[in-house]
Amino acid sequence: MAVVAMQRISILALKQHRKGILEKLQRCGVVEITASNCEDSVFSRMDTNESQRLFEKNVDIAGRALDILDRYAPEKKPLLSMFSGRSPLTAKQYYQFAQRAEECTRAANRVVALQKNVDENQAEIARLDSQLEALRPWMKLDISMRFSGTRATAAFVGQLPGQQTEEMILQAVAQQEPELNKLGVEIVSASPEQTCVVILCPLCDKARVDEILRAMGFAKPSAPSRETPKQRAQELQRKRDAAQQEIDAAQEEISSNANRREDFRLTADYNAMRAERYQVLGELAQSKHTFLVTGYIPQKAASSLAQCLAEKYEAYVELQQPDEKEDTPVLLKNNAFAAPVEPVLESYSLPGKGEVDPCSVMAIFYYVLFGMMLSDAAYGLIMVLFCAFALHKYQNMESGMRKTLQMFLYGGISTIFWGVMFGSYFGDAITVVSQTFFQTEITIPPLWFTPSEEPMRLLVFSFLLGIVHLFTGLGMLFYQDVKQKKYKDAIYDVIFWYLLVGGGILYLLSVEMATSMLGLGFVLPAGVGTVAGLCAIVGAVGIVATAGRESRNPLKRLLKGLYGLYNVSGYLSDILSYSRLLALGLATGVIASVFNQMGGMVGGGVLGAVVFILVFVIGHTLNIGINLLGAYVHTNRLQYVEFFGKFYSGGGRKFAPFGAKTKYYKMQEDERYENK
Amino acid sequence: MDINSLGVPLALLGAALAALLAGIGSAIGVGIAGEAAAGVVTEDPSKFGKVLVLQLLPGTQGIYGLLIAFLTLANIGVLGGDPSQVTFAKGLLYFFACLPMAFVGLWSAKHQARASVASIGLVAKKPEQFGKSMILPAMVETYAVLALLVSLLAVANIGKLPL
Repeated sequence: MAVVAMQRISILALKQHRKGILEKLQRCGVVEITASNCEDSVFSRMDTNESQRLFEKNVDIAGRALDILDRYAPEKKPLLSMFSGRSPLTAKQYYQFAQRAEECTRAANRVVALQKNVDENQAEIARLDSQLEALRPWMKLDISMRFSGTRATAAFVGQLPGQQTEEMILQAVAQQEPELNKLGVEIVSASPEQTCVVILCPLCDKARVDEILRAMGFAKPSAPSRETPKQRAQELQRKRDAAQQEIDAAQEEISSNANRREDFRLTADYNAMRAERYQVLGELAQSKHTFLVTGYIPQKAASSLAQCLAEKYEAYVELQQPDEKEDTPVLLKNNAFAAPVEPVLESYSLPGKGEVDPCSVMAIFYYVLFGMMLSDAAYGLIMVLFCAFALHKYQNMESGMRKTLQMFLYGGISTIFWGVMFGSYFGDAITVVSQTFFQTEITIPPLWFTPSEEPMRLLVFSFLLGIVHLFTGLGMLFYQDVKQKKYKDAIYDVIFWYLLVGGGILYLLSVEMATSMLGLGFVLPAGVGTVAGLCAIVGAVGIVATAGRESRNPLKRLLKGLYGLYNVSGYLSDILSYSRLLALGLATGVIASVFNQMGGMVGGGVLGAVVFILVFVIGHTLNIGINLLGAYVHTNRLQYVEFFGKFYSGGGRKFAPFGAKTKYYKMQEDERYENK
Repeated sequence: MDINSLGVPLALLGAALAALLAGIGSAIGVGIAGEAAAGVVTEDPSKFGKVLVLQLLPGTQGIYGLLIAFLTLANIGVLGGDPSQVTFAKGLLYFFACLPMAFVGLWSAKHQARASVASIGLVAKKPEQFGKSMILPAMVETYAVLALLVSLLAVANIGKLPL
C-alpha cells in the first residue's frame, strides 16, 4: 500500500564466485547496483567497455538475423500478440543454451553475411542490367566498339541525337564542307532519341570530320567494349546468371535457417544479459582477490538473498538502513485494487521524499470518475469482457500491460455501474430497436435518473464529487504533514482551506438564490449559514496571516498572504473543472443515440435490420473508441491537475534493479521478487 | 409573413453553426497533429499508439459540436415532433445557445492541436513522459468542455421557458 522500504546492500565476495554471484543477482533482479566510486590502492574498477560492446554487437546481429528471416519466411502473428509478453526461461534452459550460444551466434552472423551477399549481388545485377540495356542499340555492330580505323581510314563509332538516315548525315556534312566527299556512313540502329552510327573517312580528313560530327552532337558510347557488342552482351549475361545463382543459393541457405528463430532469439537475449553483466562488472570495485557490490534492495527480499549468497558463495553481505538524505530509489507495492493505477502515477511522477504513495486513494476516484465519463453499461460490459479475456489468455503478459488492462477492467465495472444508474445501454438502442422493429416501446428505466433529461442534477452531483475529490487531496496533504510532524503546516495549509472553502460552500447553500440556480430542492437554515460564513472568514484570515510565513518582512508577508487567499479562485476553477464529468457522460449517450437513430431511419423489415446492424456496429465501435480515449485522458487530468495539485509533487527515482532486460524471454527464478 | 415561422430556421442555423465551426476546428486540429504524428512514425513506428492518442485529442470539439447540433435538432422537433412550437424568440434563443460551442469549438481545437503537436515532439524525444504530454493539450480542452456545458444547459432548458 505504499512505497516499499529499501535497504542498502553491500556484498563482499571472492573473485572466483564473481560470475556465479552476478548471474544470481541478475536472475533475481532485486538489487539496484550503484556504481562504486572507491578507487584506492586496493580497490579499482575494471574496464569492460570492449566486451560489453562485443555482446551488444551480437545482440544487434541476432536481431538483424531475425529481421532477415521474417523477410524470407514471415511468421504469422496472432491478432492480440501485443498482449502475449515474453515467454519464461528457467535457469536450467538458460545454462543449456549457454553451451550452444557460440554456435548460434555464428549462425546468426552467417545469416547476416548471406543477406549482405544477396544485397551486393542484387546491386551487381542491377548494374549489369543497365549495361546490357546500353548495349542493345549496338547489337548489330559486328566489330569492336573501340574500333578507330585502319591504316588509311579513321572510324567514328558513336551516337547522334535524334532519328537520322545515311542521307541526312551525308547531307549535313556536305553542307558544312563540300569537299569532304569520301565518307562512309552506316546506321547501326535508329530510334527517335538517338542514332547509332559508324562513319569511315580517309585518315587525312579525320580532324575535320571529327569537328563537324562534334558540332552535330556526336558522342562516343559511354562504355565501349573491346569485343563485339554481341560477345560483350554474352559475357555480361553470364555474369548476371552467376550473380543470380549466388543469390538463389544464399536465399536458400537463409530459408533453411527459418526454424532457428528460437535460437536467434535466445542468442539476442543471452548476449543482452551478458552485456548487462559486463556493464555492471565495470561499475564494481575490485581488489586482487575480492570484489564489492553495493546497491539497494527491497527490505523483504533482502534477508533471503543475503542468506543464499552467504551459503552458496561464502559472501559477506551487509544490510543497512538508507540515510534520510540519500537518493533512495522508489518501488511501489499495492494491492490488486490499487496496483492497476500505478502506471498512471508513474507517468506523472513517483513519490518524492516524505511523500506517501497515493495509489490506493487515487484508485477509488479513478474508477469512479472514469465510469461516470463513459457511463454506458453495454460499453462497460464490452470493456470488462475484453480485458478479462486478454488477462486470462495471456498469462505471460508484461506487468505494465497487465496493470493497464486491469485498470480498464475496473474502469469497465464502474462504467457498467454508472450505465445502469443512468439507464444507458448502447445509448437508447433498446428503445430504438423495439420501436423500429417490434412497434412497441421498451425502455429500461434508469436506476437513478436520466442525465439528458436532468442535466443540472448531474452537474451538481459532479461538483459534489469534485469537492469530495479535492478535499480528499487536501486530506492527503494533512496526512503527509502530520506524518512528517509538520503540525503547523498541516493547520495552515489544510485546516484553514477546509474552513474557507467548506464554509464558503455551506454559506452559499444557505442563500436561496444560489440553491435555486443549482436546482437544489433545499436551503440550509440561516443559522448554519452564519456559522459557515464565520468559519470561512476564520479560514480566510488564517490564510492571509500564514500563507506568507516564509518571509520575514511583514509587508511582504501580508502581500504573500493576500496572494495566498487569491488561490481561492483556483478552487473555483478546480470545482468547475469537474463539469467535464457531465459533458463527457452526456456526449457518450447522445452520440450513441445519434447512431441508433441513424440506423433506425430506414425503418423495419430485413433491409432495415441489415442497415441498422451495419450502422450500429460501426457507430458504436467509433463511439467506444472516442469516448474511451476521452474518459482516459480526462480522468488522468482530474487526477494530475486537480487532485495531485493539492498535495503531490513527486520527483522520486524509479527502482531499476540489475536484471535481464531481454526482448524475447523472461528469466525465471524461484526466489524472484515479484511486484504483483 | 408570420415572424414565428423564422423560429425553426434560426434554431437550425445555430445547430448548423455548432456542427460546422466545431467540426472545422477539429478537422484542422486533427490534421495538423496528424502531420506531426506521421513525422514521428517515420522515425519510430513503435510510437504509433502514443502519437495517435495525441493526434485525436483536438478531435473532441467536433463531437461536442455534433452533440449540441443534435440536441438542438431534437429539441426543436426537426427529428420527429412538432416544429411549430418554436417561436421566433425561442429560435433566437437556440441560435445564441449554440454559439459558445461553435466558436470556442473552432478556436480551442486549433490551439489544442498546436499543444498536441508540441506534445508529439515531446513523446518523440521522451516516450516515457507520455502521461504529461497528454495533459498539456487536455488543458486547452477544458474551455471547450465549459463551452459545451453552457450550450448544453441552455439548449436543454430553452424548451421549458414560457415564450
